[in-house]
Amino acid sequence: MAELTEKNINKGLTILENFKDSKLLTNLNSCVHCGLCAESCVYYLTFKEPYFVPAKKVDLISSIYKRYFTFIGKYVPFLANTKEINDETAKEMVDLFFGACTMCGRCNLHCSIGIDIAYLVRTGRMMLAQMNLIPASIQSTVDSSIKTGNNMGITTEEFVDTIKWLEDELQDEMNDKHARIPLNDSNVNILYTLNPREPKFFPLSISAMAKIFYAAKESWTISTKMYDVTNYGFFTGNVDEATVISKRLYEEVINLDAKELILAECGHGSRAFRWEAPNYLKKEFDFDSNTSVELIAEYIKTGRIKVDKTKLKLRVTLHDPCNLVRNGGILKEQRYILDQVVSEFVEMTPHGIDNYCCGGGGGQLAMSEYNERRMKIGERKAEQIRNTNAKIVVTPCHNCVDQLMQLNSFYKLNVQIKTLAEIVADAIIID
Amino acid sequence: MSWFILISKISFALCFAFCIYTLFRIISLGKPKDYAKTKGDINSSIKYSYTGGMSPVKKESAYLHLPTYIAGILYHLGTFLSLILFFLNVLGINLTNYLIIPIAVFLIISGICGVSILIKRIFKSELNSLSNVDDYISNVIVNVFQFVTIYYLFYLTPTYFVISAVLFLYLPIGKLKHAIYFFAARFHLGFFYGKRGVWPPQN
Repeated sequence: MAELTEKNINKGLTILENFKDSKLLTNLNSCVHCGLCAESCVYYLTFKEPYFVPAKKVDLISSIYKRYFTFIGKYVPFLANTKEINDETAKEMVDLFFGACTMCGRCNLHCSIGIDIAYLVRTGRMMLAQMNLIPASIQSTVDSSIKTGNNMGITTEEFVDTIKWLEDELQDEMNDKHARIPLNDSNVNILYTLNPREPKFFPLSISAMAKIFYAAKESWTISTKMYDVTNYGFFTGNVDEATVISKRLYEEVINLDAKELILAECGHGSRAFRWEAPNYLKKEFDFDSNTSVELIAEYIKTGRIKVDKTKLKLRVTLHDPCNLVRNGGILKEQRYILDQVVSEFVEMTPHGIDNYCCGGGGGQLAMSEYNERRMKIGERKAEQIRNTNAKIVVTPCHNCVDQLMQLNSFYKLNVQIKTLAEIVADAIIID
Repeated sequence: MSWFILISKISFALCFAFCIYTLFRIISLGKPKDYAKTKGDINSSIKYSYTGGMSPVKKESAYLHLPTYIAGILYHLGTFLSLILFFLNVLGINLTNYLIIPIAVFLIISGICGVSILIKRIFKSELNSLSNVDDYISNVIVNVFQFVTIYYLFYLTPTYFVISAVLFLYLPIGKLKHAIYFFAARFHLGFFYGKRGVWPPQN
C-alpha cells in the first residue's frame, strides 16, 4: 500500500467534492443509523459483529465527507463523529470497502431509507484509487488487463491455439468439418466476449457456447485482440483504467463492424460494459450490448435452437449473480431457459433480486488476503444450495462459478457447478 | 407578540429557508446523467420506490424487525402531527376539545416509541457502535418536542415555543435533515433500478 500523503488525501477528497448529480450528495446525507440493514448483509449475518453492518460503511464515507465539507464537521466535529483521513482511517477504508463488501447491493433493497450503499462503497473505492491505496492483489488483475488485453495475461498465440483446439473438438462433435469458432471475422451479427477464465481453466464453456451458435446458425466471431468481458477497474474504483478497458471493447465492436455485442456469462463484466461503460466513455452506444443469457433465451423462444429437457434427469438449482440480477435486471430469462432444458428445477430460498451473494463478488476472488472471510461468508450460500437437495448448481457468471466450486469443495456439497451455456449445450438437439 | 413565539417563528423561517435551499440544491444538481440504454421503465420504478418498494412485506428492515419498524412509523407520525399542531398554533387555529384527547393519546404512544428507539440505540451493541452524539440529540429533541406538544394541548407554556425553536434550529445541522434527503434517496433508488429493469419487480 502506498504512503498516505497530503497530496493523495486531497486527490481522494475530490471524489466527494465534485457532485456530478444529486445522487452522491443525497446518499451521503441520508443515513439515520437505524442499523436495520445489518441482517441483509452476508458479512454481518456471518460474523454478527457491529463492524460488518452496512451502515458502518456508509458512516465511514459520510463522516469523512462531513469532516471536510460541512459546517458540522468543520466546527463541531464531535457531534457527528466526523473523521479526518489519516493512516488509521485509510486502513479502515481499505478493509471495509475492499475487504468487507462484495458490492452485491442487497442492503440497498432493504435499507429503510433507500440508500444505495453499494454505490457509496464504490465511491469509497474510487477515493482509495485516487489515494493509491488499492490492494495490490486486485490491482495486479487490472494491470494485467491493461498490459496484455486480458486479466489473466494469456498471450494471443496461446489463446488462438486453445480456440483452434476447441474448434477441432466442435467439428468432431458436430461431425461437420465446416463448424467454426470464428476469430476476427468482420461484418458479423455478433461479437462474442469471454471471461479469460474460460480459455485458461474452463474451455468447455467456450465449446458449449460455440455449439449453441452452431445450432442457431449464427453469424458470430471472437476477437483475438479484445475478447475479455471482465473489467476489474470497475471493482478497484480506478475510473481511468476502467475507461481504457471499456474503450478497447467498444472500439473492437466498431472495428469488426459487429451489429451486436454479446457479453459472456460474467456478472460484473456484463454490468461493467452494459451499464457503466457508456458512462465511462460518456456516450450512448450505437450498437446493442446484451448478455448471452438473453440471447440463449431468445434462441429457444424463437425456435432457433431446439432442446430436450428430458436429457438431464438430475435436480438443478440456480444461483442468481448479483450484478446480473439485482444490478442488471436479468431475472426471467435464466428461469425460462432452465424450464426448457432441465426436467427438475428448484429455486433457492431466497432467490432472484433477494438472493444472497456467493461471496465472490466485488473482486473478492482477486484479493487473496480476504480468502478466509470470503469462504466464511460463503457458508450461507452453501446452506442455500444444500437445502435445495440439487445435484447441479447453474449460474451464469464465471466469478460465481469459481466461488461456488471452492464452496463445493470446502463445505462438501457434492454438487456440479455449471454455466447456463453448458447446461443448454447438453440439452441441444442438432438436426 | 411574545419573545418566545417570535423566536420560534424566526427559527421556523430559518429552517424552512434551509429546507428550500437543500431542495433547490438537490434539484439543480439533477438526476444521474446515465448514457446506458434504458432497459426498464424508470417512471414506474420511481413510483414503486415510493410505494410498493417501501412496503413492510418487501423490506427485511421492516419484516425482520416489526416492533422497531412499527415504533419507527408511529414515532415519525407523531413528529409530523406535532409539526402540524405547531403550524396550526402559528396560524392561530385552535383544536376542538374532541380532538385534543385522541391527539394527546397518540402523541404519548409515539413519544414512548421514540423513547424505546432511544433505549435500543443505547443498549444494542450494533446500534450503539453506529451512533454518534447527533443521533442521540436528534432523538431527544424530537421526543421532547412531542412531549411538550402534549403538554401544550392542555396548558400554555413558553417552553413549547422554545423547544420548537431548538428543533427548527437543529434540523439543518444534524441528521434530522434526512426529512428532505429521504425523498431524494427513494428517487435515486427508483431511477437506478428502473433504468436496469429491476423495479417494478418482474415476478
